[in-house]
Amino acid sequence: MPGSYLILLSRQGKVRLAKWFTTLSPKEKAKIIKDVSQLVLARRTRMCNFLEYKDSKIVYRRYASLFFIAGCASTDNELITLEIVHRYVEQMDKYYGNVCELDIIFNFQKAYFILDELLLAGEMQESSKKNVLRVISAQDSIEDTEVSGAWLFRFYGVELCCYTFTAPGRYPYPLIH
Amino acid sequence: MRGLVQFIADLRNARARELEEKRINKELANIRQKFKDGNLSGYHKKKYVCKLLYIYILGWNVDFGHLEAVNLISANKYSEKQIGYLAMTLFLHEQHELLHLVVNSIRKDLMDHNELFNCLALHAIANVGGREMGEALSGEVHRLLISPTSKAFVKKKAALTLLRLYRKHPDIVQPQWAERIISLMDDADMGVALSVTSLVMALAQDQPEQYKGSYVKAAARMKRILVDGEYAADYLYYKVPCPWIQVKLLRLLQYYPPSEDTHVRDLIRESLQKILNLALEMPKNVQQNNAQNAVLFEAINLIIHLDTEQALMKQISTRLGKFIQSRETNVRYLGLEAMTHLAARAETLDPIKQHQAIIIGSLKDRDISVRRKGLDLLYSMCDQTNAQPIVGELLQYLQNADFAIREEMVLKIAILTEKYATDIQWYVDISLRLIAMAGDHVSDEVWQRVIQIVTNNEELQVYAAQNILQYVKADHCHETLVKIGGYILGEFGHLIADDKGGSPIEQFLALYGKLQGCSSGTRAIILSCFIKFVNLFPEIKPRIMYVFETYSYTLDSELQQRACEYLALARLPTDDLLRTVCDEMPPFPERQSALLSRLHQKHANTSDKRTWVVGGKDANANERDFTLSKNPGLKRAFSSANGRMPQSNGAANGTNGMNGYSGVTNDLAGLNMNDAGPSEPKTLKVPNLASAAHLSPDWEIGYNKLLLKGEGVLYEDGQIQIGVRSEYRSQMACVILYFSNKAPTAVTSFTTTLDLEPAEKENLSWEVKGLPESTIHEGAQSQQMIMFEAKKVFDKSPTIRISYLAGALQALTLKLPVVIHKFMDPAELTADDFFKRWKQIGGAPREAQRIFGVKGGKDGGREFNDSFIRETVEGFRWGVLDGVDPNKKNFVGASVLHTGDGGKFGCLLRLEPNYGTQKVRLTIRATDESVSPILIKLMEERLAIGVSTAPETTEAPTFRDISDAFGNVLVP
Repeated sequence: MPGSYLILLSRQGKVRLAKWFTTLSPKEKAKIIKDVSQLVLARRTRMCNFLEYKDSKIVYRRYASLFFIAGCASTDNELITLEIVHRYVEQMDKYYGNVCELDIIFNFQKAYFILDELLLAGEMQESSKKNVLRVISAQDSIEDTEVSGAWLFRFYGVELCCYTFTAPGRYPYPLIH
Repeated sequence: MRGLVQFIADLRNARARELEEKRINKELANIRQKFKDGNLSGYHKKKYVCKLLYIYILGWNVDFGHLEAVNLISANKYSEKQIGYLAMTLFLHEQHELLHLVVNSIRKDLMDHNELFNCLALHAIANVGGREMGEALSGEVHRLLISPTSKAFVKKKAALTLLRLYRKHPDIVQPQWAERIISLMDDADMGVALSVTSLVMALAQDQPEQYKGSYVKAAARMKRILVDGEYAADYLYYKVPCPWIQVKLLRLLQYYPPSEDTHVRDLIRESLQKILNLALEMPKNVQQNNAQNAVLFEAINLIIHLDTEQALMKQISTRLGKFIQSRETNVRYLGLEAMTHLAARAETLDPIKQHQAIIIGSLKDRDISVRRKGLDLLYSMCDQTNAQPIVGELLQYLQNADFAIREEMVLKIAILTEKYATDIQWYVDISLRLIAMAGDHVSDEVWQRVIQIVTNNEELQVYAAQNILQYVKADHCHETLVKIGGYILGEFGHLIADDKGGSPIEQFLALYGKLQGCSSGTRAIILSCFIKFVNLFPEIKPRIMYVFETYSYTLDSELQQRACEYLALARLPTDDLLRTVCDEMPPFPERQSALLSRLHQKHANTSDKRTWVVGGKDANANERDFTLSKNPGLKRAFSSANGRMPQSNGAANGTNGMNGYSGVTNDLAGLNMNDAGPSEPKTLKVPNLASAAHLSPDWEIGYNKLLLKGEGVLYEDGQIQIGVRSEYRSQMACVILYFSNKAPTAVTSFTTTLDLEPAEKENLSWEVKGLPESTIHEGAQSQQMIMFEAKKVFDKSPTIRISYLAGALQALTLKLPVVIHKFMDPAELTADDFFKRWKQIGGAPREAQRIFGVKGGKDGGREFNDSFIRETVEGFRWGVLDGVDPNKKNFVGASVLHTGDGGKFGCLLRLEPNYGTQKVRLTIRATDESVSPILIKLMEERLAIGVSTAPETTEAPTFRDISDAFGNVLVP
């Protein structure tokens, strides 16, 4: 059951994260992102979380301002793919604490690292939140010994405030809770 | 990285795209300059690469800095390395030239002592690994997977990395890895088990035989999770125990035909029932609900696949009925999908037909995803009895259907109409109405197929001609209908020429009226129709000649050529050539419907094997490769079937309107789609490690002992002791194997596989009544019970492969002491009876005789003696008849051999030893000629071992020895 991609798309249609599990040319990737954005953004609430797209299937779910879109084979189990997405969101929530879109924007590399701990080659590798967190924490502690004060910047702290002041009216909403 | 955060904040504040672009260009220029100047610290390199990554993720093109990014991989600091690897997976693809540069850095990280470095390297390979990387690094990846010292979090990454490499290049996974990889499915760590199961799923799809051991493993693990509750608390996902692995295991079980082993079937049934029971509760929590349903729907798929579990099947059909009416859109969608699977497999469609109204209703669902599934299901559940209402509904829905699915709908309607038509009028009516309604969405295959069917079925022709004429006469008529009209009227117009409203001139005017508004291809068809009219209806020839003349000046060269040629043809002094050219078209050659291939093209080539396809039972008839169903040919049996169509002389050539029709092979080309796909099954011959060809050293010591005994030790080494206890009752045998772990630690993934030469399987059958525990703790014991039945006389003994993980993988192949003589019962006969029967049986072929000595001759230190021979003869279950033979030294024996299908055989033995020459003459007579050669061979082999001539040096075993050796064997 190979997933073929995972895309995090804002409601404005901006890509926040894209991970490809199959080899595609930049052109094919751009085409998929364009098509998939169109399809998903046009969906209304209370519709089902699955869509057919060419020979594949799209499993998507909206979390606050972000759409999480997983592409998979048409034979795949849709609901379990949906829960992979949810586990990813939960995992980020556990790490960042009340994760919101801004966390993913400002710490995009961490979002990728967490994803690498959950999915590899498009397959779920670990569903224990604790185990994933343990590995990510181990990474962080290495970084802390290497770069003094890294922990200060890991969470954007000051910058977030400056962001909210300069863009009034657009507050970071937590993805879950 | 304050600079990065600032940069991202700047970009977010850029309200317009131009501002964003300006800021990005400024930054790109800055970074380019910094890289050019060189001399950057690792921290700065990392920061700039991060900025580039962010720009890249936003969708801008980043065409420099890749080398700097890749260089970070060889940094010493983990944080820099990590960004380097991230950049590599985002910027580079598997054929990128820079990847050559990093193979060595990756190898170094794979071999590093720090597991986090191993993980980075594995991520890199799993993301961008291609053939070259696979060839260079797969050995290391495999080592990390199987090494007993690998941590769980490295193992699972190694498993999935190997999966990626396998998908890219199947040869990378070597055949001899199979047993070891399968054994990891039992890993105590759920993450490892999950990842390895994913790997095994891919491998088992391509090489089912080599990975068949995974079937029992999957069934057993499923049961351990669901029934025994064997999982760490952390793997409960909203009260559902690791739904991911459950789904994988259930899917893996669908890749194999149902097991014949009742024990394995029981395991699976128990798990499935448990899943169904758990699902009776409808949890409120969304996640729990989803996870539970994910497992439930996979279980339903497995139940449908097994197709033997009537009780479970009944439960699911009622539930599916509820699902398709669920308020939850996801459940409706999945319910329809599962029902489509059911329709593809079920013996009868009745349980589905009950819900026909609801399913038709789903075509009006507000969600297109659900509507599509409804369409699939209607298509699959259609048969002779409900075709007319279903097609009617589909046609009605077609008018309002989304553009996205119209073409598919048209195809499906066309296929159903053709497949289930029993009535001429219905077929023609529906086909033409379909095209009239959905003209723009009708692919060429559809209208061409209509023409083929009409041409090949004489009883359709008049009705089709009448109808199409009506359509063409109408003011608004879709061009596709005009094409059909052009062909049908040209061929069969004369059949309706006497009808009211069907006179030649009316036919001509109808088509002529459409000529102006049509595309060039259609006009060509009409012109060809007109030349046929010239032949059929000479009375309208002048008007037609006028049309040809006009068209001989047209700018379209194809049309102009046609017009000129037709003009010339019609002006010839005699109409011989015209008549030949315009002769009736011969029937089209039988071929598979291009419609189906067209439909299936849409669904071809997904990376996972489909275990079924949309389209009812006959589409799934060919389970092996799911090529298209055996489709009825062009000639259909309609209710008013007339005689066969007269064969015309086949003079048709390219001048008629059907130019595109030479390509039968083209039509069929699309059918071959199942060969496509990334990994073709390998034809490589794999050794069957459980077979007698791979017996482990020293297997024969215990086996030879047990030939003469019902119980004892079959095998023993430093780690394991295998004991056997057996009981024989006529043709049935109950064999219990006891496995004792002598190692100081627990052994895991304990697996046994029975094997027997295929030719012998009908002579000796077995049923496994229980499997040993997967984990055997130190000093503990596990057992396996197997029932054998001797159906006929058999020659070869079954073998057993035993494998387990004790650090590395340990494996043994042993021969089981289940031999034909074990099914004999000693018989008592008087001397008179014995000799009477001895004579009755007579000589060859029912007699076998051998003269032989001890293997290795006299000097081998082994000999025959009276007690040895007596022991052996009795061990072979002969009733030794003392005092029957006049020579006291000779042995005479009798026994009855029991087999299930073959019945009973009487067997007699005479053994004449000569202790002087150390030779024996052995004669066996049996009531059937198949028995004596086998018995004599077995006895010769065993007797030839002889007994040691050396004086008994070993003392009799003490009580302690005995209890050590047999204690836990004999007292279960």
